[in-house]
Amino acid sequence: MPAEAPEYPSTDQLDRDIAVMLAQDARQSFRKIAADLGVTEGTVRGRVKRLQSAGLLKLVPIIGIDRPTDAAAISQGNGPHMMFITVRCANGRLDHVREALLAIPQVSALYDANATPRLVAVCILPSLDHAAEVMNQILALDGIREAESELVLQSVKYNAAVGPIATLEDLALQSSD
Amino acid sequence: MSEDKPQRRLRATALDETDLRIIEVLTRDGRAQSTTIGEELGLSGNLVANRIRAMDAGGLMRVVAVADYRIHGYRMVARIRLQVTGRAPIEVAREMAKRDDVLSVHITSGRYPVSCLYAFHNAREMLEAVRNASADIPGVEDVDVELVNNIYRYIPAVGPLGT
Repeated sequence: MPAEAPEYPSTDQLDRDIAVMLAQDARQSFRKIAADLGVTEGTVRGRVKRLQSAGLLKLVPIIGIDRPTDAAAISQGNGPHMMFITVRCANGRLDHVREALLAIPQVSALYDANATPRLVAVCILPSLDHAAEVMNQILALDGIREAESELVLQSVKYNAAVGPIATLEDLALQSSD
Repeated sequence: MSEDKPQRRLRATALDETDLRIIEVLTRDGRAQSTTIGEELGLSGNLVANRIRAMDAGGLMRVVAVADYRIHGYRMVARIRLQVTGRAPIEVAREMAKRDDVLSVHITSGRYPVSCLYAFHNAREMLEAVRNASADIPGVEDVDVELVNNIYRYIPAVGPLGT
């Protein structure tokens, strides 16, 4: 089993309501959210700030996954591809492999899982050529026992508003406050 | 010379250089004011506001809030992958998608073609979900559980915008 979950600030129903409203459009006015939820604008602002500084809420631009993002992609009928890469590391090489994976810009999310030294990288790639390129880079890394790639062929359900997003770095920043 | 000047748009069909520069600023501060973004990029606040609206209208880009699963009362997240035989993986995927605590379901090219991100309030819920998936869903041959431990990076780059 993994280590004890880190301590995050407790959250309540108001935090959840604000997160759900901002999930539709994070640039809408805090005044409107406050009016809808029956609290003051200052309360909304304060809650958002607190959640953001804890790494629990991120207000970020998202590129539509089913839309091509550049002219080249359109002409090829191509779009962003998602690929999972599960890496099993040789004993004692987890830290080394993790740093090497973080150096690859196409790796948009990285976490470790289970008791076995397993790292999972989620890659967002403009084309399939990039998928091959990333796999070549990863398989060439020192300290890897096995790497398995899974290309997403179809998304049946995708809740982009909730996920494992608070990183160890977010946590470290918070505890140093 | 007006050729290179970024134009206003009603609805964007592809991102151009100006859009990408605006997105880059939004990556740093998702709620940055249009006028502030304009000052940084040497554009008018009106044009920036127009471009942000046009990207949204075209389903290309939107600034959204992404919440950590802990905000919603969950205590753990696992990627649960299902190996399927004698049945189309899409049917298994649709069954999994009906569950509220399943955040996403993808069909992949791997050995375990149904890949779900599943959130749980406690360990018992997770064990039950895994047991149910293998016992109650026809066609599920094997279940692999990856309990997310430490998160090292999270850059939400893409998502469904549902326009």
